[in-house]
Amino acid sequence: MDLLVVERIGGLAGFGGPGAHVRSRGQVAIARLSEADRRAVEELFRTRGDSRPSAVRDGFSYRISRTTSAGSETIEVPESMVPASLVGCVKDELI
Amino acid sequence: MSCQCFIIPTNVLERFAKDKTLSQEQRKCFADAAQFEKHWRQVRTAHGKLSAAAGAILPSGIQVAAPPAVTVADCNHGTTLPGTPVPASTADATAKRTFVETRAVADFYQNVFGRNSVDNAGKTLMSSIHFSVKYNNAFWNGTQMTYGDGDGNIFIDFTKANDVIGHELTHGVTQFSAQLAYANEAGGLNESISDVFGSMFRQWRANQNVTQADWLIGKEIMGPGAVAKGYTCLRDMANPAAKHCLAPQPTNYSQYKNGMDPHYSSGIPNFAFYKAAKAIGGKSWEKAGKIWYAALTDFAPRPNMKMKAFANRTRTLAKTMFPGDPSVFAAVNSAWIAVGR
Repeated sequence: MDLLVVERIGGLAGFGGPGAHVRSRGQVAIARLSEADRRAVEELFRTRGDSRPSAVRDGFSYRISRTTSAGSETIEVPESMVPASLVGCVKDELI
Repeated sequence: MSCQCFIIPTNVLERFAKDKTLSQEQRKCFADAAQFEKHWRQVRTAHGKLSAAAGAILPSGIQVAAPPAVTVADCNHGTTLPGTPVPASTADATAKRTFVETRAVADFYQNVFGRNSVDNAGKTLMSSIHFSVKYNNAFWNGTQMTYGDGDGNIFIDFTKANDVIGHELTHGVTQFSAQLAYANEAGGLNESISDVFGSMFRQWRANQNVTQADWLIGKEIMGPGAVAKGYTCLRDMANPAAKHCLAPQPTNYSQYKNGMDPHYSSGIPNFAFYKAAKAIGGKSWEKAGKIWYAALTDFAPRPNMKMKAFANRTRTLAKTMFPGDPSVFAAVNSAWIAVGR
């Protein structure tokens, strides 16, 4: 089953940064996404998000990785572009 | 369907406006929002130019706008911004705190630095609270502040730390002044400026001198789970690499690499400010703060500024702003040398 591995990074607290003791991770099977969310994810990987500068400061970004028969790839996109089903699959934890 | 799409990038609005899977009404709504966004950006740009022109032409002390209005909206745990307007008479503790501390940040910038709001032209300071569910973050979106309630374990209500409110508002000040980018060295400076002025605001509210201050960032938002593990703050400007920091930081430029998260690399200039303010003594906003503020606001925007360039600005300003007190320059110079800049 093809999986999306999702990590929420950044924010005011610097989630997932070097040495940070807080991180947020999760995964979701692509097959369990709605058709609309699958299309949105495909679009994110196709455009690799939007590289234009954003005015958001301290916002979260999402590092999304997928492994398919075509290989593995990872993108980083701002939270505002991530479907709610992916936002909801991560869990914040202390490490 | 209501359209409150200010947080959504224009290109996304335009894409939705052409999305045939949406209803005609929804597509029109997104198209209207995209159109409004373009006009709003033009107004904001013009506002900034007016502010700069007023500063250059009008005698000092003359204000071109009244002190900023402060508004608070409630997201009711949704993610649509700005949310429902909250009256100033609210009983909601988070809203009351947001009104009080946001007004206090405006007072701090006005009284200490003579700045009228984030844009120095009286821009309304808008905040949204109760964003999303158990949301462990606060952010500035280019227009307004937004605060989550925290999950109750790692973090609690993000409005409980007044330095966090000062931090987010200062992102607005940076946006309307030096316009620092959010990557590489400029990104680290951008984050540091917000920590520096957030911490300074917290000290100003408590009327603390540099010795009385604890120099912690986010102390009051740490939840019981984090505190139980010994994490007492997000960051510590006096000891950026300390074990009690939830996110320890580098302390010297020799540790810097391009591509670092700005919340990590900001430890270097944070430590420089702490060292300068501590060596100067007294209250941080009286001398060190005024030098950092002038370095941020008295020059043309320089989005990709390096840490060395910012350090050199503060060195020059320490001499020109305090010509009769060479110890100020010595303190600033030594502080930057200590962090490798």
